[in-house]
Order: sequence, then C-alpha cells, then structure tokens
Amino acid sequence: MSLGAAEAAITVAEDHGGGVWREAFKRLSRNPAAIIGAVLIALFLFVAIFADWLAPYTALAPDLKQIKGPGHIPGPTAEHWLGLDDQGRDLLSRIILGARQSLLVGVVSLLFGMIGGIILGLLAGGLGGWFDTGVMRLVDMMLAVPGLLFAIGIAAMLGEGLLAVMIAIGVVNVPVFARLLRGQMLAQREADYAMAAKSLGVKRRRVILGHVFPNSLTPVIVQGTLTLATAIIEAAGLAFLGLSGADPSIPEWGRMLAESQRHLAIAPQLVIAPGLAIVLAALGFTLLGESLREALDPKYRR
Amino acid sequence: MEARKRLSAVAVGGAMLLAVAACGGGGTGTSSTPGATQPPAAGGSDKAFVWALSAEPKALDGAYVSDGESLRVIRQMFEGLVGTKPGSTEVVPALATKWESTDGTNWTFTLKQGVKFHDGTDFNAEAACWNFERWYNFKGAQQNPAVSYYWYTVFGGYAKNEDASLAPSSYKGCKAEGTDKITISLAAPSASFIAALSLPSFSMVSPAAIQKSGDAVEMKGDAPEFTGKFATEAPVGTGPYKFVSWQRGDRVTLQAFDGYHGEKAKIKDLIFRAISDAPARRQALESGEIDGFDQVEPADVDTLKGAGFQVQERSALNVGYIGFNQKMAPLDNPKIRQAIAYAINREALVQAKYPAGSRVATQFMPPELTGYNEGVTTYGYDVNKAKQLIAESGVANPTIELWYPTGVTRPYMPDPKANFEAFKADLEAAGFKVTVKSARWTPEYLDAVDNGKAMVYMIGWNADFADADNFVGTFFQQFNKRFGFENKEIFDKLNAAEQETDAAKRTTLYQEANKLIMDFLPGLPYVHNKSFVGLGKDVQGFLTDPLSNENFSLVSRG
Repeated sequence: MSLGAAEAAITVAEDHGGGVWREAFKRLSRNPAAIIGAVLIALFLFVAIFADWLAPYTALAPDLKQIKGPGHIPGPTAEHWLGLDDQGRDLLSRIILGARQSLLVGVVSLLFGMIGGIILGLLAGGLGGWFDTGVMRLVDMMLAVPGLLFAIGIAAMLGEGLLAVMIAIGVVNVPVFARLLRGQMLAQREADYAMAAKSLGVKRRRVILGHVFPNSLTPVIVQGTLTLATAIIEAAGLAFLGLSGADPSIPEWGRMLAESQRHLAIAPQLVIAPGLAIVLAALGFTLLGESLREALDPKYRR
Repeated sequence: MEARKRLSAVAVGGAMLLAVAACGGGGTGTSSTPGATQPPAAGGSDKAFVWALSAEPKALDGAYVSDGESLRVIRQMFEGLVGTKPGSTEVVPALATKWESTDGTNWTFTLKQGVKFHDGTDFNAEAACWNFERWYNFKGAQQNPAVSYYWYTVFGGYAKNEDASLAPSSYKGCKAEGTDKITISLAAPSASFIAALSLPSFSMVSPAAIQKSGDAVEMKGDAPEFTGKFATEAPVGTGPYKFVSWQRGDRVTLQAFDGYHGEKAKIKDLIFRAISDAPARRQALESGEIDGFDQVEPADVDTLKGAGFQVQERSALNVGYIGFNQKMAPLDNPKIRQAIAYAINREALVQAKYPAGSRVATQFMPPELTGYNEGVTTYGYDVNKAKQLIAESGVANPTIELWYPTGVTRPYMPDPKANFEAFKADLEAAGFKVTVKSARWTPEYLDAVDNGKAMVYMIGWNADFADADNFVGTFFQQFNKRFGFENKEIFDKLNAAEQETDAAKRTTLYQEANKLIMDFLPGLPYVHNKSFVGLGKDVQGFLTDPLSNENFSLVSRG
C-alpha cells in the first residue's frame, strides 16, 4: 500500500465525514430543547437581517412632539404596539433594529475570539514544548480575571466605540477557545489514527494540520454557539455600563435597558422589552449549543 | 445535567441585568447604600434633619471650594459680610449692616456688633480684614484655580502671583477703623463686587481657629489635598449651625449654635449624607431615611407628589447652551452659526424634556437679571431658513462635530443624551453632517471644551451670584478658548458694563452687550431650567433659593 492510499484509509477510519454530524442532527431533531433553540435563533436572525423591512418606523431620530413633558411616556396603542420611548420613538422598531446591533456585535466578537483562540490553540497544541507552556500560562492568566471585568477594562482602555466593544469581548474569549482546542489536539495526537499516520511516516505538520486539527474542531464549534450567547449578554452588559458606540440614536438593547431604568416606575415596558429580547436571544444560542454538545458527545450516544 | 446548569446561568445573567436596571445602578461614581443607619429617632424637633447631598463635600472652608455640595454645607455654618435674602437674589446685610462707596473703588462696611464665632472669639473689624488678607496672601497650592476659584474669579490674582498666567489682583487692601468699620480698596471700580461678596466662598472664618488648626493645602496631581485640619476637622464660623463631626464617606453632622447672633436654628441636629445615585436619593426620601434632597428628576416630580411628599420648585438662575468654537471651520462662518440656530427646535425640546415652567432661552442670561434684553435677535425654528443659510454660506456639505457629556446631569441639562439626540436629528434634517463625540464630564469633556478642542458642544451655567457679569461677563468679556473668537466690540462693552456703578447705565450697557452677542452668535442658548427640591411630608419653612443658598436654620417639623 502506498503512503497516499494508507492515509486515505486513515481518513475514512477517522469518521469525521458526514457520519457523526448526520447522526448528531438526527438526535437534535428529536430534542425539544434544540428545536426551541433553533426557532429562537432563526427568529433572531430573521429579525436582525430584515430589521429595516420589519420595523414599522425608522425610530432613529427623536420625535419630541409625542412627548408632553418629562415623565410622559406614551404606552402601547394600535399604531405603536409596545408604545413609545422617552424620546417619542416607536419601541418595537427600536427592539427590532437593536437585534441587528446585537447580532453584529455577537458574531464579530465571536469571530475575533475564535480566530485568535484557534491560532493560539493550534500553535500550542501543535508545537508543544516551551511554546505550549508559555501560551497556556498566558491563557491561565487571562482566565483568572472575570470575563466581564476583563472586557470592561479592555473596552475602557480602547475608548468608546463599537469596535472597542467587539475587540474587548473577542479578547475575553480568546483563552477559552485556545485552551479548548489545545486540549482536544493533545488528546487527538495520541489517538490511534494519528499514531498510525505517524508510524507510516506522514510528516508531523501534515498529521497535525490535515488530521488532528480538523478532528479537534467539533467542541470548538459547540463552544462557539454557546459563546455567541454570552457575547450578546456581554455586549448588552458593556452597553449598559455606557461602553458602547458613541452615537446614542442607534438602538442597542443593553443601552436601552440602561437608559430606561429611571422610568421603571412609570413605564416598565421600556425595561422589560429589551431585557426580554436579550434573554431570548441568549437562550436560543444556549439551548442549541447545549443540545449540540450532547448530540456530539459520544458519552450520550445510545 | 450540565445542560441545565448552563441554562440557569444564562437565565440568571438576564435576570441580573433586569434586576440591576430595577435597582437603578449604572449611575456615576460610587453609590452609597441607604438603609445602613437610621438617624436617631426622638420625635418632634429633636429629631435630626437629614439632607442628602449628591456628592460628599470636598472641604468645609469656603475659600477652598467652588462646588455646590461643599458650599451647601458651608452655607449653614458660615456667613459673609453680605448675604442674599432667603428665596431671592436680593443682596442683604449679613455680618455687615451697611456699606457705601463714593467712587466704586473704596467700599466702607459697617459691621454688626456682638457677633461671636463658634469658638467664642469675637467677630470684629480686625477679624474681617484678616480674612481678606488671608485670601489675598494665598501661596503655592492655595493659588491653584482648583482651590481658590472664586477669589480668582472675583478679585483676580494674589499678593505674589506664583504663576505668570495669573492676572494681577484687583484687591488693594483692607483697613480696619475701630472695631466696627472696615474699608476695602479695589484697583478699579467694580459694580458686581458687592453681589460677588454674597458667595459662601467669601465667608468669614475665625482667625483663631485657622491659626490653631492650620489651613495648609497640597496638590496631589490635579487634585488638592487639605492637610490643614480647619477645612476637614474643625471649621469655625459665625453661622446658625456649628460643626460637630465629619465621618468620611458617610455624613457631616452639625448642631445649632446657641450663641448665634440672629434667629436661632429651629432644628437642633442637622445631618448631611452623600448619596450619589439619583434614584437612591428618591428611595431614601420615600423610606423616610432622609428629609430632603435637591435635583429631583423632572420625571419623578409627580410620583413623589402623588405619594404625599413635598416637591418645591426653584426658578434657578441658569442657562443651557450649545457652544460654537470659532477657531474650527466651518464655525467661523456666521451663516453656518445662524443655520445651526435656525435648525434646532428648542421649543420642542424644552416642552418635552424640561419641567413645566422652564423657558426657551433667547440669550445667555436668565430674564430675572437686570440687563436682560427683550429685543435681541431671536432665531426661531425654521429648517428651510437653515438650509438657505447653508447654501448662502458657501460651505458645501458642512460637517460638524457635536459633543455631549456622559456621566453627568446638570440642572440645565437633566438628560444630556436626550438633548444630544434631539440636536443631532435637527441638524441632520437641515443638511448638516454630524460627527458624534462624547466624553466623561470630568475631566475629559470639560478639558476638551475649556482647551478649545470641542467644535460644537453642550454646556451651560448656574449662577454663582445674581448679576449679568456672572453670565455674559464670565463667558465673553475676554478671549475664551471655548469660543475661540476675538470681538473687541463685545469685550469693550462688557468691560464698560462691569465698571459702571450707575445702575441704570449699567443695565443699558448689558442690554446692548446682549444684543451684540446674539447678533454675533458665539453659541446658541436654549433653556433656562427649573429645578426641584424633594422634602419629607412634615418639613416646614424650607425656602428654595434661586442660587441654591437654602438656609436650613429656618426649617422646622410640623
């Protein structure tokens, strides 16, 4: 058997093709939690992507004619299902437009974190040795600081702005992904197929990049889904603390929550609506992520 | 199992956000927790009167502070030569019974007899002159504008200016004649001098107490540290209340002074507590933990009234304005400045976001002050006119940087972000491109504004004393980096007005100055706001004051 043919046989033996995922999908479709999660995510994505068409009003510029004085916040009516905010803007439209902002921050910061984490994890897990030790100590240090606190620190350092928020949340998630990938790769490196490839004389780089790495990605993808949930919450948290983009007319759920808190007594809907939106979006990703983890975990296989 | 754990973590996270919102966190600075201690409950007027400040005092020596919360406490313990009538801006006798001047340069004050400081020493001509000489001879850190702001504002520099940028002092000297007369000499006539003396910063302190406790100040970076004990542990004045204790981070306790020369305080114990978070102050009043607080949010007025609390209105002397920095193009173009003025719907903003009774401003000073001019050029809301002016200006697609502060509410700006959003939308509707700029109020925002780095910015002014000079004089009497313009006509007019001692001529000069200013349009004034004081159900005799000089010795319980 030539080296190439042997490697092909190993690839088949790894079973990282459709098999695992197809089975996982089958299991997911039987799990009500996963279905609820998927529906919530689909709804969130749909609303975020088509926000401009879905929002009944533009709701960016204040419409002060609607406000009769401080403390007057018009409640729900037939034209405005959730009522108006304290600037006379349609609340429902702002919630819908806010979904886009949350999705943007969530996805971009997730990508930052994931790419950074994968690079570090791949190098640490692949190279091993002193580099691995160095990176992992750095990761330990980063993980020692509570996530939100870390993000606040970075965002404050970078100054106000949407990009700063995305970088901050991304950086916080880098060590999570790095550690996860590195651990998986260490385990996979000792797996039979990797040993077989090595004994056949396949180059180390090829073993790691072509076989070990793709086989270690599954938990990273699961973690990614879960991280999207925390990223949305963290983005809202930072906005709540006043660390979001400088332009306050762009709707953002966390900021809407922060700004409405002083009207809680007279207009609770201003607080409940964005709060609920954050919870539902985060819940969707958490439900799906957890179900995915279960479905892919061999321990849960029946 | 693990899945459940994770789920609940997310749910808790979301619920926490909601809970934080409900508790009204996210304010500025530290929020002290109300409810830790209760004032001693004795009943009747023996029960202490507790007032919530929005920030802890910096020091209790008027000469060293300029912030309202320090001055509010100082006001209860100290008196100056002149004061203001409670509830008005009228200057009335305090420790001086009368004053006169023939030329506006030399002022003779007749002092009240039989006045004692809290430490038992006499207040007399010698002590009064000692106070003026103390301020005039400030050295080192005492000359820092962050320390002796009001002396510098009113009298210029010191006996020996240690920084070349300080102006020469307009104070020349103080001479005691017998025990009950002093004459203060100025370098040039000043008509605003007497009103300025009503500032709590010019309160008479006991010379013996200063000598005993010390009044040293050191600069730690940009912030003064009061190492002398007078300002922090042993302030001594002549006022209706005397100092008892200051527990840092918690409270300042005062007690009625038995030897007070005027009408004695009705409530024996007076306690000031610092609660920085606005909703927490309201809750403290609702729970009966405090008896009153200032700056009730306009949106809370009806809620508090509905619950039976007293909410008193104060017609505050202030102005909220949008400043234009003419050093930055295109603000050097008068047509652009006018276009901004026409583009902004001030009426809609004031009606929607300011309490009833607040007025749209047409000039940089409130109508209560003499020198206000009904006939200034007004710029009513007119988008088309704004668009036309932009076209005439020759500036294609004008872009302006609009600044707003975060982490602050001011009486003239209860919700800066709301104002900003309204202005931005209005400007965009008229064809301006608006770049958003924001920074924390202190120090970044004020630094940017004061150093001429902000192009178009939201700011305002609260009166220190009731005089036109305190408004237009402060803003426009000389080159000011905030506005970045030189206009000799305006500078000269204001200089002439400040020195004019004839009241009628002075009024005319200020009216002319206001007209010139509003034609020149160095900024756009938009509001004179009302503010509110919240009081407990049984509080009587509280008199709101346009300069926030409320006198607590008049307060009693029903």
